[in-house]
Amino acid sequence: MNLTTSTFNGWNAIHVEGQVDSKTVTTLRDYIDSEVNEAIPVALDLTAVPFMSSAGLRTLLTLHRRTQELQVDLALVGLSDSIAETMRVTGFYDFFVIYADLQSLPPRG
Amino acid sequence: MLVDRIDALPTDEIAGFKVRPGKPLPFGVSHTPNGLNFSIYTSAGTACTLVLFNRGEEQPFAELPFPENYRIGDVFCMVVFGLDYEDLEYGFRIDGPHDPGAGHRFDPSKVLMDPYARLIAGRDVWGETPNWDRLYPYRARVSFDDFDWEGERPLEIPSEDLVIYETHVRAFTQSPTAGVKHPGTYAALVEKIPYLKDLGVNAVELMPIYEFDEFENSRIHPDTGERLYNFWGYSTVGFFAPKAAYAATGRFGMQVDEFKQLVKTFHRAGIEVILDVVFNHTAEGNEHGPTLSFKGLDNKTYYMLTPEGYYFNFSGTGNTLNCNNPIVRNLVLDCLRYWAAEYHIDGFRFDLATILGRDPWGAPLSNPPLLESLAFDPILSSCKLIAEAWDAGGLYQVGTFPAFGRWGEWNGKYRDCLRRYLKGDEAQVGQFAQRVQGSPDLYNPSGRSPATSINFITCHDGFTLADLVSFNHKHNDANGEGNRDGGDDNHSWNCGAEGWTDDPGIKALRQRQMMNAMAMLLTSRGTPMLLMGDEFGRSQHGNNNAYCIDSAISWVDWSLLEGNAALHSFVRALIRFRHQHPALRVNRFDAPGTALFPSCSFHGTHPWSPDWSDQSRQLAWLMATDLPDQGRIDAVYVATNMAHFASWFSLPQLPEGYRWHLCFNTGDATQPFNPEEPPFDDSGILLGDRSVVVLKVMST
Repeated sequence: MNLTTSTFNGWNAIHVEGQVDSKTVTTLRDYIDSEVNEAIPVALDLTAVPFMSSAGLRTLLTLHRRTQELQVDLALVGLSDSIAETMRVTGFYDFFVIYADLQSLPPRG
Repeated sequence: MLVDRIDALPTDEIAGFKVRPGKPLPFGVSHTPNGLNFSIYTSAGTACTLVLFNRGEEQPFAELPFPENYRIGDVFCMVVFGLDYEDLEYGFRIDGPHDPGAGHRFDPSKVLMDPYARLIAGRDVWGETPNWDRLYPYRARVSFDDFDWEGERPLEIPSEDLVIYETHVRAFTQSPTAGVKHPGTYAALVEKIPYLKDLGVNAVELMPIYEFDEFENSRIHPDTGERLYNFWGYSTVGFFAPKAAYAATGRFGMQVDEFKQLVKTFHRAGIEVILDVVFNHTAEGNEHGPTLSFKGLDNKTYYMLTPEGYYFNFSGTGNTLNCNNPIVRNLVLDCLRYWAAEYHIDGFRFDLATILGRDPWGAPLSNPPLLESLAFDPILSSCKLIAEAWDAGGLYQVGTFPAFGRWGEWNGKYRDCLRRYLKGDEAQVGQFAQRVQGSPDLYNPSGRSPATSINFITCHDGFTLADLVSFNHKHNDANGEGNRDGGDDNHSWNCGAEGWTDDPGIKALRQRQMMNAMAMLLTSRGTPMLLMGDEFGRSQHGNNNAYCIDSAISWVDWSLLEGNAALHSFVRALIRFRHQHPALRVNRFDAPGTALFPSCSFHGTHPWSPDWSDQSRQLAWLMATDLPDQGRIDAVYVATNMAHFASWFSLPQLPEGYRWHLCFNTGDATQPFNPEEPPFDDSGILLGDRSVVVLKVMST
């Protein structure tokens, strides 16, 4: 799994590449923890994530709760159809603001 | 302040893994700081080994024998550190005597599933032929159990206010006509919630969803070549785990989340979820059946055995779970508490529940400890407990099931009487009067209430409603048993021709009979239960025991909804009517009624004069209650004429200020229900042959 960061339209975009499962989820969580700052909205770019296991989805939900606590906006970007469908069926989907791609993110000051 | 816990660190190393002595409770696997606690009970086992697999792999990557100092009483327990618990599958080998005559069947060559497994892998896809030689077929995994309910909780709808809908995850959603994204799954059932909400039911009773083996006793039909399955699922592999193959996400091991999401979504729609649970036997069969778990863990504890060590068979399926053994009793209690607390389940219907009241040798107990424990359990106190109060060993306890003031019953006598009255049998009217008022003859003497009675005319077991009015005899050839299986006491009537016909008279009569059945069911006191699809004429083509059929015979054909729209609209209106009329839902046998009418009174063609003779096929009832908070009464009059001729029914006279309104008349083919419920000022009404009318009282 590769993790990089960029700034896009005022969002702190965290780009994830590779599978998110129990083997990689700790790396992702630690990386996100170090990247989330108060007052800067976070876009988690999952365009290059082909599969996300149960543990991966749980990390998304804990990230959602943490950003809520910090009052930081969180968006998911570029979910694959199969991950989106798994999230719908298991109830994870409705927690998140989701955009098809980075270009769809509303600009932030 | 967080402090370091001493037990977060290992004390020993076994087979290359850091470990420490575990805790005996809870049984099964649980999360501890930095590790997983494994706990397994065996009273006669002499040694135990924890066997660890990577997900899906045939051979284990580690085997960790429990040291003697890791045993407390009869429980082996160990904490293992550093495991990837998402990909982990675990089982146990137990050593001990192999002496079937003495009841012991230990075999350390088998890897056994944890009876407390909350997540089970290995059989994630429905109907995929299993590898029978697999060392470990049903594989326990570690469940997260951290679902975000967002404040959702069980609905706690009073039993008397329920309209239960019995359904089967796969049968309800598998047909291409279901129009769902993931046929045959929990997710598909969720897609059908808007339909159920619109129909008006407020509880679904799901046929077994605990992990079961659809290949149990699977065989090929000798004539058709079709594979026959254990389709219904009344044979449990794991009591704590939802069936993986019913989950659209089962292949990702996310069935726990998917099923919880189902419950959450049903609750948001105001619909309770009741599980049909099978604690009377397991999928391990008799001495010829597979060894999956209990048989190798502690055979003598978990099963009722003959003095020679053979399996008692009160369930008719090979073995009988030893429910009143204290160990098994705790397993059942732990299991139901888990489903109530962790899955927010609203109630349980117990298959062949009288077995739960038998002692270890099969004799019925007068005060069965398991049933008492369930009745008074603090976590289950708001859950509905419903007994199928009979078993395959001949114990029939409808009306006498040890209820402890808590248990409801599938009222088999209601079913039989309603069917016989519906088809015009003689000598039914007296019993019929008992049935429609909640069966006080069965439940009043022991101080129980009308809602004790789960009223039903059809259920999964037997004919569908459309078949009940279309077949005199079962037609079970598709089951591959030469039509010998299934009951012969159907009390059905085909209305003039066996099976499908183009005769318009017969078709019209069948339609009317289905409406009559629904009208009587939904205006009876007690808790009504409908079978899936009966509201639009679902048929199994005369098959009254389709337990093994995974095809269009069992699957609900949703295209019927269009063709039978009139029946569907009628049932929908009846359910709404029931919800609107508290008089139909009074839950006391000694209710005072109103100043105008008793709580429940019976009538005939003349008011207050029912004909109780054996030849009578006519009965009317008037149910009434005061609504003090609304300053009015609620009263409903139902007249039934199951004779083959029309009759004039004079209506009970109403005092000044009240009038009748006509709501339903199954004899009026063009308008069997009146959405407008128009005022009805005649002194009586002509009931057509085999017809039901329903009127209500309103103030002018």
